[in-house]
Amino acid sequence: MNRYKLVHVTQFSYDGIVTESYNELRLRPRHDEGQSCLSFRVTTNPVAKAVGHQDYFGNWVHQFHILPEHKKLRVETEAVILMHPVKEPPVSTLTLAELDAMRDDLADEHFDWLAASGYCPFVPEILELAADAERECDGTIHGLVQTASSLIHKRFRYQQGATHVHSSVEDCLETKAGVCQDFSHLLLAMLRSRGIPARYVSGYLVPRQGNDEKAAMERVIGGLASHAWVQAFIPDTGWIGLDPTSGEYVDAQHIRVAYGRDYGDVPPVRGVYKGHAGQSLAVDVHVRPAVDDDGAEQLLETSATPPPDPEEEIHAQQQQQQQQ
Amino acid sequence: MFEGYDPGTFYDELVAPDGTPRPEAAAMHEILAGMPLDVFEERRQLADLSYLVQGITFTVYSDGRGTERLFPFDLVPRIIPRHEWDVVEKGLAQRVTALNLYLQDIYGKQRILKDKIIPRHLVQSCKHFRREMVGLNVPRDIYVHIAGIDLVRDSRTGEYLVLEDNARSPSGISYVLENRLVMRRTFARAFEVSEVMPVDHYPNELGKILRSLSPRTGDRPVVVLLTPGLYNSAYFEHCFLAQEMGIELVEGRDLVVVDDVVYMKTIRGLTRVDVIYRRVDDDFLDPLAFRADSLVGVPGLMNAYRAGNIALANAVGTGVADDKAIYAFVPDFIRYYLGEEPILKNVDTFLCSRPDHLSYVLEHLNELVVKAVGESGGYGMLMGPSADKKTTEEFRERLKADPRNYIAQPVIPLSRCPSFDPATGTISPRHIDLRPYCLYDGEKVTIVPGGLTRVALQKGSLVVNSSQGGGSKDTWVLRGNDGGEA
Repeated sequence: MNRYKLVHVTQFSYDGIVTESYNELRLRPRHDEGQSCLSFRVTTNPVAKAVGHQDYFGNWVHQFHILPEHKKLRVETEAVILMHPVKEPPVSTLTLAELDAMRDDLADEHFDWLAASGYCPFVPEILELAADAERECDGTIHGLVQTASSLIHKRFRYQQGATHVHSSVEDCLETKAGVCQDFSHLLLAMLRSRGIPARYVSGYLVPRQGNDEKAAMERVIGGLASHAWVQAFIPDTGWIGLDPTSGEYVDAQHIRVAYGRDYGDVPPVRGVYKGHAGQSLAVDVHVRPAVDDDGAEQLLETSATPPPDPEEEIHAQQQQQQQQ
Repeated sequence: MFEGYDPGTFYDELVAPDGTPRPEAAAMHEILAGMPLDVFEERRQLADLSYLVQGITFTVYSDGRGTERLFPFDLVPRIIPRHEWDVVEKGLAQRVTALNLYLQDIYGKQRILKDKIIPRHLVQSCKHFRREMVGLNVPRDIYVHIAGIDLVRDSRTGEYLVLEDNARSPSGISYVLENRLVMRRTFARAFEVSEVMPVDHYPNELGKILRSLSPRTGDRPVVVLLTPGLYNSAYFEHCFLAQEMGIELVEGRDLVVVDDVVYMKTIRGLTRVDVIYRRVDDDFLDPLAFRADSLVGVPGLMNAYRAGNIALANAVGTGVADDKAIYAFVPDFIRYYLGEEPILKNVDTFLCSRPDHLSYVLEHLNELVVKAVGESGGYGMLMGPSADKKTTEEFRERLKADPRNYIAQPVIPLSRCPSFDPATGTISPRHIDLRPYCLYDGEKVTIVPGGLTRVALQKGSLVVNSSQGGGSKDTWVLRGNDGGEA
């Protein structure tokens, strides 16, 4: 079954009393030809009313605020999502030379997906990586994007804690390690610097279930929790998904939530509050088939608890969970 | 005082090339010419003192001392004859109308991009293009309520040219009003013989426009002025305007957004706010929507704006109109939206984002003025002819690294105006520009006659910015067609 229920719980605990908390969520899965968002619900404690609108990139944003004093904030979103079978597009044979001829038209139509951004600067190491990928590929756009994605998978180590939520590609290039957010930024910078439009995708990766659940878990590194990958635009094919973290195909296990130029456009939870308190953040994501094949529910979960932020400020920003 | 005055080869605003005063300046010229130096000096000191006791100062940021300074005031006014002003006024009205139509379009249907009048990438790469504003309806469709358009007069042609547009939070109007007050006290007799058009209705006109923006009908709208606070360079102006308009001066922490409605915290509880004249930059306006580290903003303000519960003047995102690279296209906006020829011309501009322009600029750096596109106040600028080699080379590297961020223009031989030089105790010519303040109510553009004349007080200098050692003058537009005769 490709029908899932997603429960995403974000919990903030403050050392002291905070007030005037304003928050934005980008957690509602996109609703398009590839997937249907059948329902979406936001519950907060303390109770607040979440109001939704769509941002510039067409993502759903739910905002809410809590004015009275509180020491904890719990945000739970629940989405039921139907994933449609993926129709594999024909593999494009457009060459990089043909891409170069389209440069001006692409620059005009896809400016946001071609420009360097805060998380994805075109530093020399990025240009070198892109050149390496071009050397190794078969000279087509499709070949280059696939090569670039697997090159990141090969050369960089998946390691939580090597970078942080506000790291740009430079941190990852230095440590040669990172998480899905970093790998996506690397791939975006490589593709864009070569003139290929590319966008950041925030979402969820549903683990493939097999006999050996543990093996399945290991296979989907970075799965379950909020995940990130990349879509590249190939002029005669459209957008294709690339997951440099798993090195595997992007398919109906990848639930898309939001598109942006980089993480900065699509943090799942973002907010500010008033108070002197330090804070800690815990995130839990549960994904389960909405109707299980065997009739028995399976529940998978994961959690991550980064250390509390030592900084104290009157205006503070809600800590953000890195996409892993 | 005018003994030995030589207007020189530049266009002189008050003195004709033969050394005789221009007709509109004759009356003032006579008063100054007949004034002994010690009397003039005494009046000058009185004028300075009045600025000091009122605390009319500004802050220089790049100066490590973070000092507040007096904005030097020069007692010799700039005088503009009525027939000249009429043309300038029409040209400004045309420009401000076109800038508003452009902003409506960019944040709406984007017709101008589809028709390829301006490259899309140039608009979208603007630092101040706010994606949050696309599709958001602003009250009464007005984006730029207040614009400061910087004009210079080219000595070669005697024509006024637009040097840059300021469509975000143009400052300086308080100097226009204060300069006039001081001049009236200092040269009372000059005002008796010259019929100078008044400027003191500005706060009233601005207040009318702000009130008209209220999204609520019926009740008397609550208008506030949002300031970043005491340490902002224009804090004096914020206090001054709030006081003149009879509205509350507030900081971000005085406001709170509840269910997408903005309230002001008062000792009697929350008061609903309808209109904010904001002097806080977009980046700092709402830490939820923009820079999360802003301590001077109001979280949730953009949500209230989107919900249509608050009016902001100027609107968010107007920086996509006054970006210095966009500036080059404003004459095209006028033709495109209004079907008219621009009345006021632009200065020729090289866009470094265009490879052909960039290579020309790099070859002619020592002849050109280079400006960073998103900066104002004379920061991030290279004066090619006078810059030292090291600075020029630094700019060369910056231009190559980030060409989109720079434009270049030929050096315009700015007109000059007689100005007092304390070092020599005489009146000497100094370069000037002019910033008129334009108010747009959705139908018509109102401009208080004149504006802020800034003067480069250093001999030979062409940089008039207050942050770079400039001063100001009172600007007179005479009611009659020539000097004094109504």
